[in-house]
Amino acid sequence: MNWDIASKNFYRQGMRAFLNVLVTALSIISLIFMLSLLNGFQAQATRNLVTTDVGGGHYRAPGFDILSPTEWEDHTLRTPESLLKLPDGDKAEVLVQQGQLYPNRRLYPVQIRGVSMDQSLLTLPLDNLKNFNAQVGDAIPAVVGVKMARKAHLKKDDLITLKWRDKSGAVDARDIQIVDVGDMINPRIDDGVVWLRLDHLQSMTDRQGEVSWVAVRDYTGPVAGFEFLSIESLMADLLALLRQDRVNSKILWSILMILVCTSVFNTQILNIFKRQKEIGTLMALGMDSKRIVRIFTLEGALAAIWALVVAGLLGIPFFIWFQSIGFDVSHLSEASFPIRETIYPDYQPKEIFYSLVIVFILIIVAAWLPVKKITRLDPTLALRGRAIT
Amino acid sequence: MMNMNKILIKLNQVSKVFKVGEENFTALHDVSLEIDSGAFMSFVGPSGSGKTTLLNLIGGLDVPTTGNIYFKEEGLSSMSREQMARYRRENIGFIFQTYNLLPVYSVFENVLFPLLLNGEKEKDVRDRVMDIVTKVGLESQVKKRPSQLSGGQCQRVAIARALVKDPLLILADEPTANLDSKNSLQILELMRELNQQYQAAVVFSTHDEKVTRYVRREVKLEDGKVISDNNNLNGDS
Repeated sequence: MNWDIASKNFYRQGMRAFLNVLVTALSIISLIFMLSLLNGFQAQATRNLVTTDVGGGHYRAPGFDILSPTEWEDHTLRTPESLLKLPDGDKAEVLVQQGQLYPNRRLYPVQIRGVSMDQSLLTLPLDNLKNFNAQVGDAIPAVVGVKMARKAHLKKDDLITLKWRDKSGAVDARDIQIVDVGDMINPRIDDGVVWLRLDHLQSMTDRQGEVSWVAVRDYTGPVAGFEFLSIESLMADLLALLRQDRVNSKILWSILMILVCTSVFNTQILNIFKRQKEIGTLMALGMDSKRIVRIFTLEGALAAIWALVVAGLLGIPFFIWFQSIGFDVSHLSEASFPIRETIYPDYQPKEIFYSLVIVFILIIVAAWLPVKKITRLDPTLALRGRAIT
Repeated sequence: MMNMNKILIKLNQVSKVFKVGEENFTALHDVSLEIDSGAFMSFVGPSGSGKTTLLNLIGGLDVPTTGNIYFKEEGLSSMSREQMARYRRENIGFIFQTYNLLPVYSVFENVLFPLLLNGEKEKDVRDRVMDIVTKVGLESQVKKRPSQLSGGQCQRVAIARALVKDPLLILADEPTANLDSKNSLQILELMRELNQQYQAAVVFSTHDEKVTRYVRREVKLEDGKVISDNNNLNGDS
């Protein structure tokens, strides 16, 4: 009978009930959307780093540290035979050297990164470098990323002086020609990086056949003279950032959850406030306050169920539509996340399911808490609508 | 020993004090009286004389500050909240000045509601509900909601709702205050008929002089005290 009364009360409230349901449903949609967008953002950041830089791990010259530019020259080795035998799709040889660029006659320290042109493991916008042969010409062909080009005021076809140190320590300088400004989806390989052909950089530095690391698709076992760095160790800083981001996302989740619950709580408080005469009448008719609490809580539960249904009806088409257009985060190229493109939400069914269960439970609790007030209402004041002021 | 065969309600030196801010306001002061089964009576007095407070105490909606109220032989003061709710559910029918009908329910559902609270099944009591709705002259309005009815019709629904469970006592707080003269007289006439037919004691609280012409007993209150108690006002009429 409680259910009958609660459902009658709920359905016959008409527009008021519908608006309550709609607000809660929109909050649920926001909750799922924000979580999924964050998931998508993190997944793409990880994927971008893997496809543009990390691959499945690096075989590195021991001691090489990307954060110690002054020591890069000290840590290069010839590519071992075992790695050379790998197919082009499974390896990418990379040589990293320190250099100085002189845009507008100002010194601009750069990382000169040479990458083999045969590789197809990493996705890099370096096709224009492939048009040149292994012999270094008058001007060295180079590619820079959009961010680098903007910062150093470079554009395609610019000639600019580059200075570096060769293997024997002699300082050399030549003009480089910007043959392309590439759209790097990973700002970490854009900002301050000048991309050359590997054979050119090896020739310029007198390091024929030498590399700083070889990125591989999969670990192929120990390689003499090289140390293997796994994806986890290469992405340690990003993973730490993402872990922090998960904490932030939990805070965001909690804030959204509080919003959902506040909306339900507020609705119930208003319900009780507006319906105190009705509550007083129920008491006068002999309904005990515990039963009234159960009925109002059931009304809250009904609102929660309908909110989930409406969230599904409105949310699913919205999520599908948004999945097709994505969310432009190109402005994030200034941030430390390796992402500079449109991101797409990543809907995790398990996460959504748990969120909905928690939302549902919290809605019931939020519906029940204010209703508890009813048990303390003075029936005579409730009958006059003055029990809660 | 009091004679409890005929006495339905007995008030023994009942006082009620409300706290208004820092002040204490005595709404009822040492009121003692008895209400017989089948009575048709009124508490009369100006605003603030304690009529509604007295009805609320008798109806178990409030508890006295001092003194005791007995329903038959049972003291209300010793009842828990749940027992008090049960007392109201099984024995008391309320009629309010502002009708207090459940707004989302139809006339039929409003009248049916007290029976459902008493554990009855709708299919078993449908005829009984329709019978009482017909008695109050609302058979053609049975599917309408309170918002679609006039004040007089709403008060008829409230009367039907109070009577449907065959209570021993009906407490009507200013039932005619919101009605015009014609409707007031019709309601009073109806209640007198139903009092005779159903044998439920009916107690009005009112300052409407028209009520005096119908009731058999009139208790006058002033400043929370009983100042007169007139029996046999209108004979058996």
